[in-house]
Amino acid sequence: MSRPLVDVSGLTVRFHGERTVHAVNGVELALMPGETLSILGESGSGKSVTLKTLLRLLPEGRTDVGGRIAVDGRDVMALEGEALSAHRGGIASMIFQDPMLALDPVYTIGDQIAEAVVRHERVSRAAGLARALEMLTRVRIPSPERRLKAYPHELSGGMRQRAMIALALACRPKLLLADEPTTALDATVQIQILLLLKELQKESGMGMLFVTHDIGVAVEVSDRIAVMYAGEFVETGSVREIIGDPRHPYTKGLLAANLHGAVKGARLDAIPGAPPPLDTVPTSCSFAPRCPVRLATCETARPPVATLGPGRMARCVHSAVAA
Amino acid sequence: MTPAPLLEIAGLTRHFKLKGGLFGRSAGVVRAVDGISFEVDEGETLGIVGESGCGKSTTARLIVDLIAADSGTIRLGGRTLGVDLELRELRRQVQMVFQDSYASLNPRLTVEEAIAFGPTVNGVSVREATALAHELLVKVGLEPKRFAGRYPHELSGGQRQRVNIARALAFRPKVVILDEAVSALDKSVEAQVLNLLSDLKRELGLTYIFISHDLNVVRYMADRVMVMYLGEVAEIGPVESIYARPTHPYTQALLSAMPSMDPDQLTREAPLAGDPPNPINPPPGCRFHTRCRYATELCGKTTPSLFALAAPRHLAACHRAIPGSGHPDAPRRLETAA
Repeated sequence: MSRPLVDVSGLTVRFHGERTVHAVNGVELALMPGETLSILGESGSGKSVTLKTLLRLLPEGRTDVGGRIAVDGRDVMALEGEALSAHRGGIASMIFQDPMLALDPVYTIGDQIAEAVVRHERVSRAAGLARALEMLTRVRIPSPERRLKAYPHELSGGMRQRAMIALALACRPKLLLADEPTTALDATVQIQILLLLKELQKESGMGMLFVTHDIGVAVEVSDRIAVMYAGEFVETGSVREIIGDPRHPYTKGLLAANLHGAVKGARLDAIPGAPPPLDTVPTSCSFAPRCPVRLATCETARPPVATLGPGRMARCVHSAVAA
Repeated sequence: MTPAPLLEIAGLTRHFKLKGGLFGRSAGVVRAVDGISFEVDEGETLGIVGESGCGKSTTARLIVDLIAADSGTIRLGGRTLGVDLELRELRRQVQMVFQDSYASLNPRLTVEEAIAFGPTVNGVSVREATALAHELLVKVGLEPKRFAGRYPHELSGGQRQRVNIARALAFRPKVVILDEAVSALDKSVEAQVLNLLSDLKRELGLTYIFISHDLNVVRYMADRVMVMYLGEVAEIGPVESIYARPTHPYTQALLSAMPSMDPDQLTREAPLAGDPPNPINPPPGCRFHTRCRYATELCGKTTPSLFALAAPRHLAACHRAIPGSGHPDAPRRLETAA
């Protein structure tokens, strides 16, 4: 059996400053090459923070990261200097929700992509520009020669997103980290970008971690889904399992709130309340205060992790009883 | 006879001139809303959908004159704005809730002050207005004892949006325009607010204009749906009819771009290529023809007008649906008996 591309165990992230935030509380994650895992969660659930640890993008002075993170067999936490630079963009690359923040407004698209290629692969600028042109063509930007000389503000939203994807994939990374890359896009453009990502992934065989709050998008792009709540994975499984047989009450609530197939006039099965503040390490089930099927033990002890199959788990006392 | 609609909009138009170029000469015109007409019945929810730049938010703002219209008439309850209906009265009766719950609230006013502000300006005593604010807080599910004295930054996004709804209701309006009012909320909170909106509508007999980019939410909330594209109405009709038999190719594309939620029916091909064109100097003829797979020469030349389809109250502006339009897919014109 091949080795996982991403292997994360016992990941914890704590931000300290005026107040302490326990953003990630023990995440286990494995991703095989060529596979797509979506991390599905609401704002503040820790999904983007989890993603950023894989590139060590969190401010180190204010962040404590615990646990083990391995990407392509390398210990990400131990990377320093040149090795870290080679990791960022070379092995693993990231795309974001807002391409205007990821692209530099004062350089042309071609220059930005070429610069990354020149730095990582130590080739000439001409070779870098040739790669830039090849990438713009691959992400299906019309008249790519002309766009090479365009500045980010001269492109439309969907086009900018494509340019950012071209930049991220220019050095042929093994892992693509996608942080809500289609959230700001219109529906007809969103589906274009999702299909493009899937196609590029198939061509290159890279693994993809896709963070989203939109369950419909997760179904569209992924092989597996991890549902995240209050800094933990509460349920993982294949897309089919999560959609067809959700086990955790939070997953069930999210599916109902998506309104897909909701009956007009019928009351929505809304999850009451709001996510908990994360100023302490959870000592009970984080979802218990909002859970319609909570038991007394849920409010006093951490729920057990019920393993329901390979890559399939639910962090819920009810699943543990059933298993 | 059917009763007259509560709100009637006719020929509503707003073009924005772009300043720029030498000596501030006009550099172009954004045809944000271009001669749209529609009606809203008492007690119904009209959904407005479309992509960014299609003019859905501008339409909402034009209705309450937050942006001045270039032309068009607005009638509410049979009275015409500027003739026998004052703007002040229209704005009392038609209230609005915006997407950004934080920007909508004055950060220096407590929740009860924010809700009571409007009524006090309109002559209600502070004591009465405060009592009303507390009553409304209960209605939107915020306990006055805990929330009345809080400032906006002390609330979550969902709670702030409840305050905005309460404030809109302080005028006892007939119509509430919800402009992406739940779009910024997390899904689990969104469902709570949608439930609240349904309850309030039933309890207070409200009429909603529900603007959203989320077609699942619109399907759940709306009775009728209006689809906009580049400042024009592409299609309008009852929600069941629009979702089951979308007629305008743009509506069809929007619906098939919705995630299927079914791993066995994943989308294989994007229904449309490219981004929506810029509303500055939009394409001539049918504005959608540059992205439409069925477009012919006719579509680039002649603007199709809204045409009544077989289903009641369902209209679409597409040459393919208009008998005798000259489009090869159009039905033959009915022969009139000589």
